[in-house]
Amino acid sequence: MNKIMKSILKVMSAAVLLIAAVQANAQDAVKLRINEIMLNNESNYTDEFGKRSAWVEIFNPSYATVNIAGCYLTDDPNNPTKYFIQKGDVLTQIKPRQHVVFFMDKTPDHGTFHTNFTAEKRYVALFDANGKTLIDELTIPEMDVDVSYGRLVDGGPDLGVLPNTTPSTNNLAPDTNVANERFMANDRTGIGMSITAMTVVFLALALLFMVFLYVGKFYVSSAKKRAIKSAEAAGEEIPASLDVESGEVYAAIAMALYEYQNDIHDLEHTILTIEKISRAYSPWSSKIYGLRQLPQLKK
Amino acid sequence: MEQNGFFSFLLGNLREFLTYTGFANLTAGHIVMILVGLFFIFLAIKYEFEPLLLIPIGFGILIGNIPFKEAGLMVGIYEEGSVLNILYSGVRQGWYPPLIFLGIGAMTDFSALISNPKLILVGAAAQFGIFAAYMIALLMDFAPNQAAAIGIIGGADGPTAIFLSSKLAPNLMGAIAIAAYSYMALVPVIQPPVMRLLTNSKERLIKMKPPRVVSQNEKIIFPIIGLLLTTFLVPSGLPLLGMLFFGNLLKESGVTRRLAETARGPLIDVITILLGLTVGASTQATQFLNWGSLKIFGLGALSFVIATAAGVLFVKLFNLFLTEGNKINPLIGNSGVSAVPDSARISQHVGLEYDKTNHLLMHAMGPNVAGVIGSAVAAGILLGFLS
Repeated sequence: MNKIMKSILKVMSAAVLLIAAVQANAQDAVKLRINEIMLNNESNYTDEFGKRSAWVEIFNPSYATVNIAGCYLTDDPNNPTKYFIQKGDVLTQIKPRQHVVFFMDKTPDHGTFHTNFTAEKRYVALFDANGKTLIDELTIPEMDVDVSYGRLVDGGPDLGVLPNTTPSTNNLAPDTNVANERFMANDRTGIGMSITAMTVVFLALALLFMVFLYVGKFYVSSAKKRAIKSAEAAGEEIPASLDVESGEVYAAIAMALYEYQNDIHDLEHTILTIEKISRAYSPWSSKIYGLRQLPQLKK
Repeated sequence: MEQNGFFSFLLGNLREFLTYTGFANLTAGHIVMILVGLFFIFLAIKYEFEPLLLIPIGFGILIGNIPFKEAGLMVGIYEEGSVLNILYSGVRQGWYPPLIFLGIGAMTDFSALISNPKLILVGAAAQFGIFAAYMIALLMDFAPNQAAAIGIIGGADGPTAIFLSSKLAPNLMGAIAIAAYSYMALVPVIQPPVMRLLTNSKERLIKMKPPRVVSQNEKIIFPIIGLLLTTFLVPSGLPLLGMLFFGNLLKESGVTRRLAETARGPLIDVITILLGLTVGASTQATQFLNWGSLKIFGLGALSFVIATAAGVLFVKLFNLFLTEGNKINPLIGNSGVSAVPDSARISQHVGLEYDKTNHLLMHAMGPNVAGVIGSAVAAGILLGFLS
């Protein structure tokens, strides 16, 4: 039985580790989003060579750094592994809530961020490192020169022509503290926040209260059952009161035992003093205490 | 001629050196802050008001307010890359407070709470101080995120106050931390008058049922269920609540004694030293001394008073629904704030003033530790809404 249990535990641990590993992988590149695209770049963003070409911006919406290296970009859904994003370039690490821009200029020899295809098909897709899992794709409508298309809010679901081109930065940059504005507009006095938050605090602690009310009752009743069982097994009379004693009683018993075992007394047997005592006789001057053996009177 | 040049060079050097000294850069603000630091040290040594906190903070204030010329010497706490700045990162990025909570968890015995779970609700009621201060701060034209960071002072929980202010209002963190720790140290001064004012002589004499013995299994289950229930409801409280309950499981599991001893001993001591010293040093007069800081101090005191009153009044209200023999002494209501174990000690002292045989300490520990959970939950909610 013990062996079976151990085997089950081993299998369960392995399963948990496997699930954790899969989850960890899933938290990586799959969260990336194609965020903004410009097809006709005439007087907009330039690459490191000073040239202008179509570009695509990838956004990391998560709060962890994601490495895009090893993933694939393509302009052809039937050829998902068209452009391999090379490993070993530190710039492929996309910081939390940050962006990278790839130039679609068919010059991969210019560096990691230059694809081997152009934007003429008006389609871009990002595939995971296995070359099969589609992470995100975007089909772009016909666009004017120097106008970009993408997600209206970074990583959001709504797509459209963007009012400003924003390569490598937020598509919609909030110029105020959104949460503050919301509360200032709807709850200027703070009463709403106070009611909501106090309700949640009470709810959280009331849940704890309920659980431990019943956990306590369960343990008290099991303790009583155990007491009855052991009394029956020993053939003793079942005590009239089976209420669990208070901690104070046990503390007093423990203290008494401790004092007894360590020979500690509230009142000591003798008092050691330098004060002059009234009686002339003192155990200190008594010969009897200086003797190793009591003298025996021989008749 | 050459000699003259050499002397003027020496004189120039000396003049240059003098511009670097503290005397040359001294301002009235520095003097005020140094006096505040000395006052903290005095309070800690003379009256033993939270000496473990006030000595590092008080000395930190002295360190932070030694005037210096801002010439890239990398000595100030706000200079990127300076030693003090590196030590301050635990405060700024909010990772000291969860480590403190780990230690608190490893040293807290939740038995009083488990044996009488209704006391948990007192810990919830006292959190009203946080939200009352939030409302008043809004009235005083603080932005909601700043008001929330100020309000949390009413939770009487230094680490939580630092954690929340580092996330919501980093520019106010120095003042908030100083206010939170100062008022925690002043619990014996602030709470008793409020407790006396809000209770009558009959209520102060209520004797509560002694807490029952709590089994080891219950103590082990508590941190696990506590974590699951509270953090599923308020995941933003995870750093604080997670560490608190983890520390408690280390203590109660009975098989990780070494880890528990490290968490409640050397670890919490090291973090307390670093936290206290750097929080103190962050009160550099040039950055700290302004009307905003004074307002924060005022609001902090008010939130403490309101939290104490809310706890006491809640117990009185609760008593209306409790049968005779199960009633709660309202003198433990103040312990709903999470100044552990100081506010519980106050309950005990004030209780003994009216009845020499009425020991409230163990009962007060229930709401006291519930207050720790409650303030962490409240911080999580504020963080969730306003970050």
